[in-house]
Amino acid sequence: MNCENCQSLIEDYIDGALDQKSVRDMTTHMNSCAACARFREELVREQQLYWRYDRGLEVSTALWSSIEARIKQDRATRASGTISRMRERLSGLIAAPRFSPAFAAALVVIAIGVTVAVMSYLNSPSRVATVATNDPDKNRGAVQPVPAPGVPEKTPDAKQFVAPAPEESRPTKVKLAVPRRNAASTATPTPAQLVREAEQKYVTAIAMLSRDVDKRRSQLDPMLLARFDAALTDIDKTIKDTRRVARENPEDPIALQYLLAAYSKKVDVLREMTASTD
Amino acid sequence: MEAVSLVGQSSARAGTLMNSSEELIARARRGEDEAFRLIFDRYARPIISFIYDMIGQRDLAEELTQETFVRAYKNLKALRDDSKLSTWLFGIAKNVARESLRYKHRETDKIGIDDDRVIELSDGKLPPDRALLDKELSGVIQHALGTLDHDKRLVFTLKVFQQRSYEEIAEITGSSIPKLKTDLHRARAEMRRRISPYLGVGYEL
Repeated sequence: MNCENCQSLIEDYIDGALDQKSVRDMTTHMNSCAACARFREELVREQQLYWRYDRGLEVSTALWSSIEARIKQDRATRASGTISRMRERLSGLIAAPRFSPAFAAALVVIAIGVTVAVMSYLNSPSRVATVATNDPDKNRGAVQPVPAPGVPEKTPDAKQFVAPAPEESRPTKVKLAVPRRNAASTATPTPAQLVREAEQKYVTAIAMLSRDVDKRRSQLDPMLLARFDAALTDIDKTIKDTRRVARENPEDPIALQYLLAAYSKKVDVLREMTASTD
Repeated sequence: MEAVSLVGQSSARAGTLMNSSEELIARARRGEDEAFRLIFDRYARPIISFIYDMIGQRDLAEELTQETFVRAYKNLKALRDDSKLSTWLFGIAKNVARESLRYKHRETDKIGIDDDRVIELSDGKLPPDRALLDKELSGVIQHALGTLDHDKRLVFTLKVFQQRSYEEIAEITGSSIPKLKTDLHRARAEMRRRISPYLGVGYEL
């Protein structure tokens, strides 16, 4: 090895980047060459100077604390993101909650339509009603819908529904003759079936609206929320009572009217609760 | 042999920690924060030093070190070869530092120095006090480092200060080894000119 070769490799020599044979050749050459040996000494001294380089940096405990905090935050964000995605998927599969208010409204419209149809049918001239019972006390269990406190009164009144007749003259059980025009049709639903269909739609709509209301409860004023809840409690009791009476008297138009009116009232209250948070 | 003993100094210190990098990575991937803390303890100092050498600002270096380790944690599963943890970390740190420099719209590769230890040499004479000398020397080195362009500064820092192999530096920087050697040779020459007063009388190549 000559001086030129030695000096071209000397940085790699200092860096430890040479193979063993090259290191041996370099060492042999520098042992016999004072100039190259001095060159090596100067480079080593230079390297030692760099190692004395003090940046004055400290790895503070605050640095790790910051990293740890960010890691935990990232983990929490990922976890909440996963939960949100799962919730969205589940809710999309089960309830489609984002569309529930509109869907519930559609159901209510249908239910009201069915209710009107039932009432028209019950009150039509073609219907022949006969008093078929001698037990005038049988319908006394029907409970009047309870107006919700603080909620605009929308319950059935004299204008909207057929007012219950005086107890002495009110039929407690109504037997419906088969309508003449539909006599041949076995597919024509009975009033009880129509009412049950309307009731089912009300129940579905109420379930959807209730889910929305539950999500928004925290947005409601506590006082207002308490009043709404009291109204709902009263309405639920009315529904329970009127349903019992309607079941016992499936062809009593008054009982059916009160039952559907109670459902309608609950829908109104739930809608109002939803509207109060918009 | 002197050269070998000089090169071996840092690896001896690194070997004092009991857990292997592979083991720590596996534990950290399982969600053990303590394992990642040990990785931090092992590499925080070289990483913050490297970033500081690249950007020249103390507060920013700490901030970017934080960013480096957070990115490493988030992407731990992307580390293919667990035995190359340090190379991987330096690669992240290099990217973080480069992004920071780009963000600051630096038109030149030269970095600013926020250290008050930078001292202009007047007559080349060294102050007698060793501590003062070291302080002054550190300022001069830092200042000289700041005058190198980005590529030279990168390879010089990784090779001379962090003592990475050419293969590791090639992985970190994405440059070829011949280019790295050329850049390093030029960087050394530039640095030598600036620190020559500290190398003693007659130091010339």
